[in-house]
Amino acid sequence: MRRLLVWMAVGVMLSALTPIALANGWNMPVGVTALSRDIYSLHMIIFWICVVIGVIVFGAMFYSLFRYRHSRGAKAATFHEHTSVEVIWTAIPLLILVAMAVPATATLKTMYDASEADLDVMVTGQQWRWRYDYLGEDVAFTSNLSTSREQISGTSEKGENYLLEVDEPLVLPVGQKVRLLLTSDDVIHSWWVPDLAVKQDAVPGFVNENWVRIDEPGIYRGQCAELCGRNHGFMPVVVEAVEPERFEEWMAKRKEAAQQEAMSADREWSLEELMARGEQTYGAVCAACHQPDGGGSPPAFPALAGNQALLEEPERHINVVIDGVAGSAMPAFRNTLSPVEIAAVVTYERNAWGNDAGDTVQPSEIAERLAAQGE
Amino acid sequence: MASHLPPKPTPQHSTTTAGGMAESGHARPRGLMRWLLTTNHKEIGTLYLLFSLTMFFIGGIFALVVRAELFQPGLQLVQPEFFNQMTTMHGLIMVFGAIMPAFVGLANWMVPLQIGAPDMALPRLNNFSFWLLPVAFLLLLSTLLMPGGGPNFGWTFYAPLSTTYAPPSTSFFILSLHLAGISSILGAINIIATILNLRAPGMRMMDMPLFVWTWLITAFLLIAVMPVLAGVITMMLMDINFGTSFFNAAGGGDPVLFQHLFWFFGHPEVYIMILPAFGIVSAIIPTFSRKRLFGYASMVYATAAIAILSFMVWAHHMFIVGLPLVAELFFMYTTMLIAVPTGVKVFNWVATMFRGSISFEPPMLFALAFVVQFTVGGFSGLMLAIAPADFQYHDTYFVVAHFHYVLVPGALFAILAGAYYWLPKWTGHYPSVRLSQWHFWLSVIGVNLTFFPMHFSGLAGMPRRIPDYALQFADFNLVSSLGGFLFGASQLLFVLVIIKCVRGGEKAPAKAWEGAEDLEWSVPSPAPLHTFETPPTFQPREH
Amino acid sequence: MWQAIKSVLAAFLGVQKDERRREDFRSERPGTFIVAGVIVGAAFVLLVAFVAMMAAR
Repeated sequence: MRRLLVWMAVGVMLSALTPIALANGWNMPVGVTALSRDIYSLHMIIFWICVVIGVIVFGAMFYSLFRYRHSRGAKAATFHEHTSVEVIWTAIPLLILVAMAVPATATLKTMYDASEADLDVMVTGQQWRWRYDYLGEDVAFTSNLSTSREQISGTSEKGENYLLEVDEPLVLPVGQKVRLLLTSDDVIHSWWVPDLAVKQDAVPGFVNENWVRIDEPGIYRGQCAELCGRNHGFMPVVVEAVEPERFEEWMAKRKEAAQQEAMSADREWSLEELMARGEQTYGAVCAACHQPDGGGSPPAFPALAGNQALLEEPERHINVVIDGVAGSAMPAFRNTLSPVEIAAVVTYERNAWGNDAGDTVQPSEIAERLAAQGE
Repeated sequence: MASHLPPKPTPQHSTTTAGGMAESGHARPRGLMRWLLTTNHKEIGTLYLLFSLTMFFIGGIFALVVRAELFQPGLQLVQPEFFNQMTTMHGLIMVFGAIMPAFVGLANWMVPLQIGAPDMALPRLNNFSFWLLPVAFLLLLSTLLMPGGGPNFGWTFYAPLSTTYAPPSTSFFILSLHLAGISSILGAINIIATILNLRAPGMRMMDMPLFVWTWLITAFLLIAVMPVLAGVITMMLMDINFGTSFFNAAGGGDPVLFQHLFWFFGHPEVYIMILPAFGIVSAIIPTFSRKRLFGYASMVYATAAIAILSFMVWAHHMFIVGLPLVAELFFMYTTMLIAVPTGVKVFNWVATMFRGSISFEPPMLFALAFVVQFTVGGFSGLMLAIAPADFQYHDTYFVVAHFHYVLVPGALFAILAGAYYWLPKWTGHYPSVRLSQWHFWLSVIGVNLTFFPMHFSGLAGMPRRIPDYALQFADFNLVSSLGGFLFGASQLLFVLVIIKCVRGGEKAPAKAWEGAEDLEWSVPSPAPLHTFETPPTFQPREH
Repeated sequence: MWQAIKSVLAAFLGVQKDERRREDFRSERPGTFIVAGVIVGAAFVLLVAFVAMMAAR
């Protein structure tokens, strides 16, 4: 009777667990590409091989523990060797592994074939954001975490996609082979989207290749997978896969916006305009290190608020933002930010948090300087 | 072979070999000086073990800071900078400060006793290699108080995060690792010299207990790879302080080179942390099965095979770094092959138990748990070996689950098993059975609650080394954190067991366990300070 | 030498007969086995590398 109850309890628990296991993502996602499905099936094959071996080995072990207990008066046998048994249990795993290596090799070769892509996207890791560059299309932008600080510190309710949401997702067309070229501006990052089964390191000074052909439209979320410093956990990847027509529309709109941004660099900007734009850019790009209040976190990241050197030497301030500081964590923003953004953020830093330089830096100045450097 | 070696110690000159202060005719130093100057292998063994226990608790506290922060989503207790320092320090302390010194401590105590030697071959060197460790780890811990904080780049310290982007304290971290490395190399030399030269007359290599064999092979691994570690951290030091660009792409260097060098050290290193565990378990399972170890020769050969293969698999840690296809395939194949000798070991343990006469004393409980849980870690290792699937597993909690299964319920459980097995020899008393059973069951439950859910959170997509996570990982992390605190707290029971065991308890005879066969059980319990001053006559068992 | 290579191969698999093993350890010179070990080790690396290169084509 007692035994029956125990078994019933176990049965109820198992039947309750199964739907939870299926619904809550306890396993690797099957994903939305042919490759991700291949990888999933490799994963399940090797998993079941392990389960079978485990059942046999642990079965034999627990049988022995139960059957040959000293307390039951078991007498120990004296054998301690059996060459043919040893050969058999060496050979069988070897054969299983060879059998496993064949499909794994085939999948790996497919993964490594990034040729004949329809679209090339350069993915650049930066502490702590991703930059996407549609090669040959003149469209590029950075993608930052958009979860608010309040959600992270717990002062406001966490949203559904907490830490997995960005201001601008990478938009890709479905059904087309997209080649991803990955590199980094600072430390090693790793670009990962589980549903696409793409994970590839972005290594400074080197360009890695990977590719993806997405089958279904949708939003796919992932994260940086390689420890890259303080905000490693706050560097999500979001891919929005859309039908090719919608992708074309989106691309046209992006190009237009890029042109307008370039045009606006020519006109005179007021202090208020620059401050408003600068606050936005500062929050997205600079605040991670130099803190939203400009306090920094010395010694690695100097404070900007009340920084006398910064206030007295506007030239140097601009140079630091454009060229970075060699040998430190301060990157060059020459290619990352537009002239408008650089001008705005420098102006903002000179006039926020009690800094009172009072001067403005005009986008046209920055544009000229960049053009001069480019020659 | 023996004809090329120096003569075996005889009673006439064993005093110089034993070298201990007690033999020199002076008064024995007392108090602190006794421990500072000791050259006795048992005292140094005890120092190593106490040091590693201390480090185990310090590293454990760091792990609990991490688990407390990960208890629920959001940043509650610590900021990301400090979180990264905690994960890094936890890894460094546990690997270099807890697991490795614990094995060296066991080797110091047990290798001379198991081969019938009066002491280690190089007693003064032995003292030096121990006392390097407290210096190294005080230096390492002190970096936490320096401006900019301690190491925050993970225990694998990938460049350029650990060079150009590292905190100013990194040079101290490098120095402390150098000291720990020197200590390991000297310890390894000492162990090799002891095993090759000081075996009791009549004991051939293939008569040695498996713990001695695994340590001999481990010591060769240490000598082979520790200089590689020293080289790579010296290159970091140059990059940081002297303007070289080994790992700096802007100067023509290669960040991936760092990973090749690191893992050429790092992969044999993980076997350094598991081979002596195999040796301990191979002593305990036959003892409590009252049956000889099945396939002794195969076990020795499998250990050697694992050691050699461990030099050929390093880049499986780098499958997603952008290796060429041929390299991926090569390292996938070799990694799959290393599963074979590892499997042989597990099969042999099970065959040892088959038709034995098995009892479940505390050391056996830990050894059995080791076999099961280490095998679970081996299975996830096999899954990780499949390179295409590794593109999904890499740098997730699945990997964290894998190596913790191999190292905590694996290596650490083997150390605990060894401690329970040899405590009667060390203290002369049996450890309290009731307390040890509590310790065992709470540890097993705690460790599996902590690490098993990590398989799921990793597969579901949670990257390693993040201080905050998306909401779908919350349940797994909650369970892991609760398990972590249970496991941590239950280790206090182990301290209680040791204290009670040192103070008293059931007296143990020389042969403390019915089925135990090796030489250490021929000396009294507790083992006197000096043993085997006259070499025992070793009778090889009928093969 | 051939005997030594056979023993090393057995060691790579982790399986060896007791008599063979005892015979090996009767030899006074470890040099032969070390040389055999290096040869077999190198051959093993080359073999796996060759298979990998064939598979990658």
